[in-house]
Amino acid sequence: MAASATAADAGGQQAVQLAPAPLLEISDLRVTFRARGAQIYAVQGISYTVEPGQTLAIIGESGSGKTVSAQAVMGLLPGSARVSGSVKFKGEELVGRSQQDLRSHRGRSFAMVFQYPERSLNPTMRIGAQITEAIRTHVQIGKNEAHDRAVDLLKMVRLPAPARRFYEYPHQLSGGMRQRVVIAIALACGPQVLFADEATTALDVTTQAQIMDLLLELQQQTGTALVMISHDLGLAATYAEDVMVMYAGKIVERAPTKELFAGVRMPYTQALLDAIPRIELEPHVLLPVIGGRPPDLASIPQGCPFAPRCPGVQEDCRTDAPTLKQHEAGRWWACWHPLGKGTQQ
Amino acid sequence: MSSSSVTVQPAGRPGSAVAQRLAGLARSPSLRVIGRRLLSAIPVLWGVTLLSFLVMNALPGDAASAMLGINATPAELRAFSIQLHLNEPLWVRYGHWLGGVVTGNLGQSLASGHQSVASIIGQRLPVTLELVVYALVITLVVSIPLAVLCARWPRGIIDRLSMLFSMGSISIAPYVLALLLIIVFCVDSHVFPSIYSPTSTIVGNLRNYTLPSIILAVPLIGFYTRFLRADLLEQMQAEDYIVTARAKGVSEWRVLTRHALRNSFIGLLTVIGLNLATLIGVTVIIEQIFSLPGIGFELLNAISNRDVPVVEGIVLVFGIAVVLANLLTDLLYGVLDPRIRHVASRS
Amino acid sequence: MSLPAANILTTASVAPAAELAGPAAGRRWVRNLEIAIPATVLVLLLFFCFIWPMVYPVPKPVGGSLTTVNLPLWSKGHIFGTDIVGNDVMSRILYGGRVSFEVAAGVQAIGLAVGGLIGLVAAYRGGWTDAVLMRILDIFIAFPSLVLVLAIADSLGPSETHVIWALSAFSIPAFARVARAAALQLRDRPFVVAARLSGTRAWRIMFQHLVPNMLPQLLTFSMLGASLTIILEGALDFLGYGIPQPTASWGNMIASGESFISVYPRYVVVPSIFLLGTAIALNMLGDGLRARWDVR
Repeated sequence: MAASATAADAGGQQAVQLAPAPLLEISDLRVTFRARGAQIYAVQGISYTVEPGQTLAIIGESGSGKTVSAQAVMGLLPGSARVSGSVKFKGEELVGRSQQDLRSHRGRSFAMVFQYPERSLNPTMRIGAQITEAIRTHVQIGKNEAHDRAVDLLKMVRLPAPARRFYEYPHQLSGGMRQRVVIAIALACGPQVLFADEATTALDVTTQAQIMDLLLELQQQTGTALVMISHDLGLAATYAEDVMVMYAGKIVERAPTKELFAGVRMPYTQALLDAIPRIELEPHVLLPVIGGRPPDLASIPQGCPFAPRCPGVQEDCRTDAPTLKQHEAGRWWACWHPLGKGTQQ
Repeated sequence: MSSSSVTVQPAGRPGSAVAQRLAGLARSPSLRVIGRRLLSAIPVLWGVTLLSFLVMNALPGDAASAMLGINATPAELRAFSIQLHLNEPLWVRYGHWLGGVVTGNLGQSLASGHQSVASIIGQRLPVTLELVVYALVITLVVSIPLAVLCARWPRGIIDRLSMLFSMGSISIAPYVLALLLIIVFCVDSHVFPSIYSPTSTIVGNLRNYTLPSIILAVPLIGFYTRFLRADLLEQMQAEDYIVTARAKGVSEWRVLTRHALRNSFIGLLTVIGLNLATLIGVTVIIEQIFSLPGIGFELLNAISNRDVPVVEGIVLVFGIAVVLANLLTDLLYGVLDPRIRHVASRS
Repeated sequence: MSLPAANILTTASVAPAAELAGPAAGRRWVRNLEIAIPATVLVLLLFFCFIWPMVYPVPKPVGGSLTTVNLPLWSKGHIFGTDIVGNDVMSRILYGGRVSFEVAAGVQAIGLAVGGLIGLVAAYRGGWTDAVLMRILDIFIAFPSLVLVLAIADSLGPSETHVIWALSAFSIPAFARVARAAALQLRDRPFVVAARLSGTRAWRIMFQHLVPNMLPQLLTFSMLGASLTIILEGALDFLGYGIPQPTASWGNMIASGESFISVYPRYVVVPSIFLLGTAIALNMLGDGLRARWDVR
């Protein structure tokens, strides 16, 4: 495990301050799709890092590029996608590598859990077989040992009656149980980064909470870094250490969770927060929705991409695109006129 | 939470295990499906026989003159007709025939000297069966690997050539292909015989059937390769479980064969079953070209001879074959797709 | 039949071609070509078969004299040579092509009108109507239509109209199946439900709402069906049940050429090429149209 900056240890001695060595270093990642005669700029230069054991939430609406960027890291994009920039896993560059090289990382170094558990599992293949496949792709072990490991994994994700479930088919399980299986598959080879792409969006609220709790618990157990991709700010608030907000293919704000929700800087993030239904709101009051639509990704806008919809938009917003800068310690935003500084409300 | 399909058996007593097994079988969805399909197949079969009877008997032109030739006198024709019971009303004849069918007696051939229809069919059927099976084997052996190769490298060289070939193969008329291949393989080079010659050796047998089976297989190969390729590509591009498999680090080949292909088999089998009726038509033509003594060739002769019992017998056989094929594919569908297998056990 | 089976029939009979994401501009150009090339070929064929003989003095396809027997290809005045009775092969090809196209058009039209109607009504009415109609259809599908065709052709006598009627025995059930599947898909769409709820009369719904939306699928199917029909018509002629000599048709040209295949293979090869070309063009057109119209 890479060393990270640690606090004082139990013995009260002076902790050794080691430079943080991030698991994932993404720098100026760009993803462009070619479709029907046009270019789609899905990801327009994002940079972030993932530390070992960190819980990061990437929040954005549909089309913000959050899923595409994660798929780019994993190398799961179709052939029509052009990826540029740098993605380093433990110092090893992944962009431009062959599928064969990337395959040795997929499942072993990083893994993904997807949104629709009923579609993520092969309906004609037994669950156990799908797990042992994940194991035996990277580890040379016999069928019986793989079987035992798979059952252990099912136990780990708290699937009831794991030994029996091993021989069952996906349709015999409920949505929550299937998602547990998908998590088991993802964690089969002990990856160091787990991407959860809207992993709980398709589940009912109670199951959502159960799965999130499970993910966090497993994270503690295995020390895996968890990257939650979602549109749900509430999810981020509850479970993440750090939050990254994406809009129109760019990162617009990044901060540790507590600080973010204590004082939002980006008008977009504020608008997202305002749009969440709350108990405290008066009944029969219109929810403040964000007017307009996300920008068309076929062209790179001149000014700030959020300008057409921003309630506090000003002239320079339309002409100059703000860049993501670390304006305060650990806090990044890309806005000429951020909130909370006395200039906006 | 959903229930599972395993019924927990009470410990001990083996007798109860057997009883439970039988009870489970009776509740088995597969058996119920079979039962339902059989029931619905019977009126279809009956309709087929009725239709064939009507067709053969209600159309102008009668058996007597067809067989006795143009020079027969009216008296001879009349005597012959009476001998063949052709003067009795339609529904009486049909009743007789139907009764015979139920007891296994399909009547006697009018043309070939009272030989029983059943024995004629019995002689000829194996020939046609061998032709069809041989053709299907060739088809599957070629089209499945070809489709996989196409899906592995879409728009690659193999894919483009295969699609060209399959377009050609479904467009070429079987008789044209037969004649062209005969030119190539039989006329000068004598690799294969152009006319069936009875033989008792395996090699001789294969020599007889290879060319006809290939011709039968060519359009099938074109058809199934396109279908399978499309199905595989659809999965590889759009299905989430394929993405999951890739995310596990599984190689592209394995994803294709272990995940996509296994799901495509169901569809392929259904297509094969549904195509059987067309297959029968083509068999008839091919048997005629190569003089293979199968039921297709026999059918042609019987129709021109107005040999009504033989025609009806063969039509019945064809009808049964089609109905059986559809039944089998429906069943296989239920067996192969685990979702359907477990339908009854979900509460 | 179980519904998944019906869907597979629709898919299989309309020979699927998978869509791929790729260089966009190139694909659109190729797609247009996939329709343009076969369409051009077909238009040319139709022109030469139907219009050309009316404007240009093409030699007669029948009544050739023994003086001009067995002329080879590229002979003076006879581009494809002559056959064993002295008829000009080229004009026999043209007139035979007329037969093929007329039969194909007739069979498809009947199939579309009758079979399409049956399928539409069965799907729309549902319930008993559907069950009964489908059973009857199953009977016709299970029944070896070739027998029906041969029997009809044999007893009614060989002629073009009889061939058309006989081959309709194939096309009507096929269209009925496809039409039914298409109508079933459309029946529960919101706009149809809305029309029903607002009290629109049944026949209006069927013909103003359902039919226009079914047409793309049915038209594509009829292209592929036309190709099959031409081949089948050729088969009938080949077996001797179709168009009688001396009238020309591609099928009976092949049949009469069969006996001379070792000596004059061109009597089989020339009509075969036209048969193959027409079938390929029709199939390609059907494929291209389906790819263009497939709302996926």
